[in-house]
Amino acid sequence: MSTLQLFLLITMMLLVVGIIASFIRMIYGPKLWDRILMLNLISAKVVLIIAIYAIYMNSLTLLDIAISYGIIGFLTMTLLSKFIMTGGREK
Amino acid sequence: MNVVAMIILVLSWFFIIFGMIAVFGLKNMYARILSSTTIDTVASFLVLFALMFVSSSFVFIVRFVLLIIFLLITNPISSHVNIRSAYLSGIPIHDKEVKL
Repeated sequence: MSTLQLFLLITMMLLVVGIIASFIRMIYGPKLWDRILMLNLISAKVVLIIAIYAIYMNSLTLLDIAISYGIIGFLTMTLLSKFIMTGGREK
Repeated sequence: MNVVAMIILVLSWFFIIFGMIAVFGLKNMYARILSSTTIDTVASFLVLFALMFVSSSFVFIVRFVLLIIFLLITNPISSHVNIRSAYLSGIPIHDKEVKL
């Protein structure tokens, strides 16, 4: 294992620790918007993990998966916020 | 090229740790949303910028540039939509309302 692969592994472990911390905050979050924010942070960190793993395995397909996962995370976040703001009614 | 990527990766670890501290340390909800989203954007930018230096071919670099532009545009928009939804639903900005 080269030094660069060790650094990539350490970064992935830190991101996993960050996802676990965000998940704990998501359970104990006092308000609804905290939970939506944690959803956004978890989605951004998962995109980073997939991108690092694509470099680690040297495969191009995983990078396309990372881009599409980012788009899905953004749409989830925006539509959920709009749905909660209007109270579930069509406007 | 590997040394440059390692230096930027080490720089990004601090931002990830600061993001975790900001999620748990702040008491106000708006401060939590603002600081954690901003720090997380910088951390993701640094990680993807470091991965650009160690990519093996030109096709990887195009994908990374696309991903960086997408994250830099959509992450502040998500934070703005979230804060707007919270403010329009009637959450006060300060914890204690100041009586004039």
